[in-house]
Amino acid sequence: MSLFENYRSEASFDEMFDAHKNLREHWRGIYESIQNAGLEELGAKQAEIDWHLEENGVTYNVYNNPEGNGNRPWRLDPIPFVITGEEWKEVKKGIKQRATLLNLIFKDLYGEQKLIKDNILPAEVVFGHKGFISEVYNFGLKENFNLYFYALDMARGPDGKMWVISDRTQAPSGLGYSVENRLTLNNIAKDLYPGIDVKKLSLFVEEFKKLLYKLSDGDTAKVAVLTPGPHNETYFEHAYLSSFLETNLVQGDDLLSKNGALWLKSLSGLKPINTLLRRVDDKFCDPLELRNDSKLGVAGMVDALRQDNLAMINPIGSAILENIGLNPFMEHIAHYFLNEELILPQIATWWCGQPHELSYVLEHLPSLIVKKIDRTESVKTYLCRNLSPQALAELKETIIQNPNFYAAQEEISFSTIPNYTSEKLEPRNAVIRAYALKRDEKYTVMNGGLVRVSAGKDPLLVSSQKGGTSKDLWILGLDKKTDASHIFKNAPYVETSLKHMSTLKAENLFWLGRYLARSITTSRFLRYLLKNIANTYRYEDTQANETRYILQNALTHLTMTYPGFLDESMREKLQSNPINEILSVIKDGKRAGTLTFTIGMLSHTNVAVKNLLAVESSKIFDKLHKEWFSFVRKQTNSHRAVLSELDKLLTSLTAYKELVEESMYKEQGLTLFDIGYRIENALLFIAKARSMLCFRLDKSVAYDIFEGILSSSESFNAYRTQYKSALQFENVVEFLVFNPQFPKSLSYITNQLLGEFKTLPKSKPYLTSYETPLFKAYSLLKLTSLSEVIEFDEEQQIYKKLDSMLSTLSTLFAECSVELCKTYFSHYDE
Amino acid sequence: MVYTIYHKTEFDYEGMVTFSHNIARLKPKNTHFQKLLNFSMQIEPLAYEENDFIDIFGNTNTHILIREAHQSLSLIGQSTVEIFSDKLEQHNALVRENSVSYAKAKEILSGFSHDDTSVKLFMPESEFIPKASKRIQDYALESFYETRDMFEAASELMSRIYHDFKFVSGFSDVMTPIEDIFDAKQGVCQDFTQFAIAALRSIGLPARYMSGYIETIPKEGEEKLFGVDASHAWFALYIPSAGWVGFDPTNNVIPTHQHILLGSGRDYNDIAPLKGVVLSSGKSKLSIRVDVRKEPYL
Repeated sequence: MSLFENYRSEASFDEMFDAHKNLREHWRGIYESIQNAGLEELGAKQAEIDWHLEENGVTYNVYNNPEGNGNRPWRLDPIPFVITGEEWKEVKKGIKQRATLLNLIFKDLYGEQKLIKDNILPAEVVFGHKGFISEVYNFGLKENFNLYFYALDMARGPDGKMWVISDRTQAPSGLGYSVENRLTLNNIAKDLYPGIDVKKLSLFVEEFKKLLYKLSDGDTAKVAVLTPGPHNETYFEHAYLSSFLETNLVQGDDLLSKNGALWLKSLSGLKPINTLLRRVDDKFCDPLELRNDSKLGVAGMVDALRQDNLAMINPIGSAILENIGLNPFMEHIAHYFLNEELILPQIATWWCGQPHELSYVLEHLPSLIVKKIDRTESVKTYLCRNLSPQALAELKETIIQNPNFYAAQEEISFSTIPNYTSEKLEPRNAVIRAYALKRDEKYTVMNGGLVRVSAGKDPLLVSSQKGGTSKDLWILGLDKKTDASHIFKNAPYVETSLKHMSTLKAENLFWLGRYLARSITTSRFLRYLLKNIANTYRYEDTQANETRYILQNALTHLTMTYPGFLDESMREKLQSNPINEILSVIKDGKRAGTLTFTIGMLSHTNVAVKNLLAVESSKIFDKLHKEWFSFVRKQTNSHRAVLSELDKLLTSLTAYKELVEESMYKEQGLTLFDIGYRIENALLFIAKARSMLCFRLDKSVAYDIFEGILSSSESFNAYRTQYKSALQFENVVEFLVFNPQFPKSLSYITNQLLGEFKTLPKSKPYLTSYETPLFKAYSLLKLTSLSEVIEFDEEQQIYKKLDSMLSTLSTLFAECSVELCKTYFSHYDE
Repeated sequence: MVYTIYHKTEFDYEGMVTFSHNIARLKPKNTHFQKLLNFSMQIEPLAYEENDFIDIFGNTNTHILIREAHQSLSLIGQSTVEIFSDKLEQHNALVRENSVSYAKAKEILSGFSHDDTSVKLFMPESEFIPKASKRIQDYALESFYETRDMFEAASELMSRIYHDFKFVSGFSDVMTPIEDIFDAKQGVCQDFTQFAIAALRSIGLPARYMSGYIETIPKEGEEKLFGVDASHAWFALYIPSAGWVGFDPTNNVIPTHQHILLGSGRDYNDIAPLKGVVLSSGKSKLSIRVDVRKEPYL
């Protein structure tokens, strides 16, 4: 029985079958392979594809996902979209022609504006479009101001021809996904579709690299992919592109501009950047000259273009070409510039800024699709046949008020293609995104593309944001030149050597260490405090209240959630009922210093360094984050529940820490994580010690306090092994402050840090600004004897020497951190 | 007539700033009606980099990078400008003579005319002047009926704004929406100007924001104090087949001899005297001091 027996397309054109349900010849290989395999095998292949994609972490972020984490797995259908080599040759000609035309339009609109002056194109189509960036006016004459990278969406119309749907010129997305689709489908194609020759993508990737080589004047270290950051919907792709194109991956904050050029901030200093493959929208590229509120760009980027020190793929201003208001004039423009007819047909489009066209649109509105010519702010498409009479009337009024901003298009039924959907083969509409690159005078088109398939049986609108799946595009035939496939085999290219590491990454690693240490220590301390309170209640132990008060005060000092338990006016209330304050220190994400607040900060830094870490670490972190915040939202605050959550959190945090340490070599940046972790731990220990060890404790209280300070830094067992005795003040102090062997003692931490500092890129034979305070700390610890600090000051009732030493140490550690940040993370004196 | 202008702009920051990119527009434009005789700019602290470029509107922009730790940035532009008021009066008379009706203007603008292509930049909404509401449109249409002469209509619009709105400083700032200005019927010159431009664009006409200075004359018997003048703003309307003509709704006059043009654009933002991007968490405060003097001996 044929798998396609129940396959019925309602479209006027189906890719696989003609109007009489006869198989189209170029599908024979695929068709027979599918028949041979059977549905079950197809299902197995789908599962294999899903597994590969998940394994490689291919995701698409969906905005406003109520589930919080917006990463959605990327979907790929096992059946490719097949096109013959002969047809593709014609389509390619059309794509090249359109790219050439758009480039000429681009250079003209930001140059002489002949199209407008010679009445080929109405000025309103340009000036009313928000993509016209007046700041780059006159840049069109520059040699490096070109539409280097062009993508177009197309679909097959009822006449069997490929029709242009829209142009993508600003920062076209999807190339990375196309490559990943191909690599994934290769895994199953050998089995499923044996003996079918398909043109390779690698030549296009080679071409891309050649373009980057040319634009960067032969030094691809000066090339960077500019991404809005990990929260962007296609961040996966940005990382992926930078990986197979072997370039830096940067965010706006990684760069600065001076001398009319861009520079990458790296740990060893500023490095020049002269070529940007950017995925940040035009107006967000430069807060100085464009959108002042943008956090994604670099102040001075427009000036770098102006001074010919930067090539951009594509230059700022290219959004003007994503403009369906151009369509009605394209035929004319093709004659004007090239004296040619358009090769690829366009959907009939009426721009409402012309009186005649406007009246046609208003008259035929119910059968048309209306769009704003401009998609820079919001994309809105009105499918008029679905509108109520009232909505139609409103739309009419809107168009009349702003005729220049609207265009209407004919509704076209595009072709369908078989898609493997819930264990059946069903017809789906598909849109192809194709890519072209300009190097020297000519465009090269990729022999492949990204095919997006509609989610349901009917929708005319195909979009990755709205769900649906994707397909690989297969151009049948052999390449003339073969094998450049090695280019995909390179390991992901993330610059991780300390010397070349981007400052932003380095800074995030440092803070990852600090926030992680803070999260772990805070959780441990809270856990000890809560257990202590439970015991107090259990044994109705009034003595133990004293212990509890000390621990509570220490919590406030440790987390710096002042006034907290130190609030004199609330003293009695806080002492008799501490739970609300403790819960706030655990759960209140808006209060600085609380555990939830710290985990929030940790989460930001985790996202920022994600691609430096092992995949498992982000899985663990995502799970931890999800569980913790679901606990935070819940109202159940029983002792048992909170304690068990803290236990769970600690387990995950320590597992995460292990994975971070395993993911990287020291010289790859782990050193910075370590330094951050150690400095934070030192500061936290000092905060605890000053509020727990510096005054004389009653014997019964002392034991619990000593246990508290030891176990909140996971040192209790080590202490027992070392001293084999009861907890004694002088031993505890010696162990945690002076012991040169115990890895958690201040003395040990200081020593380690001084050693690690020597491996940093700006290390000098003499002491650097950040080493000096730490060297002072080291000397202070060496020159102070235990007997000195355990001397009790009867008058003030405290261990004065100990307290003042700890206070000095705290200042020195903090100073070290500030100086370190200044030396490595700010570049203002370079 | 020759004027000397002193224009000081200052940013005061809450915290220390170590790196800041700025764009200053303090150099008056050369036009048919005025000539810049002399110009100098002082920057404090010293600029690490300074370069000029001309923008799409013909204004001079100075890009300034400061890399020295500073808590305040001050720029002083000093210019000497000669005004050819007779030429401007002649031009205005010619525009008035060639002016057309509102209906005719719309008809010309909706078609193609080689002379009009560049003015179409001043028709759509812009960043600081979004599309005005129906009620503002109605306000404009009271003066601009189909058969009405454009020059007369614009003079009337200027004079209506002058009478309907009250000059109140402190009520608004550069971010106050035009609709709020219309509700309150008060503001300062830049509000009246942006309101007029919004109204004109809402009825399909090209209008531009003119930024500059106006000489203020002290009361009789009083000595003029230094720095009491303000930077000033007015609007210009394009009358197809006639040309651009300026209107000052704050003073209800057509600028001829008292107005000195600094530059022009679609709205305030295109010609803001100083804008900057600093790396600092704190806020910043902008203050301005202007002095305009007529040189008596020239």
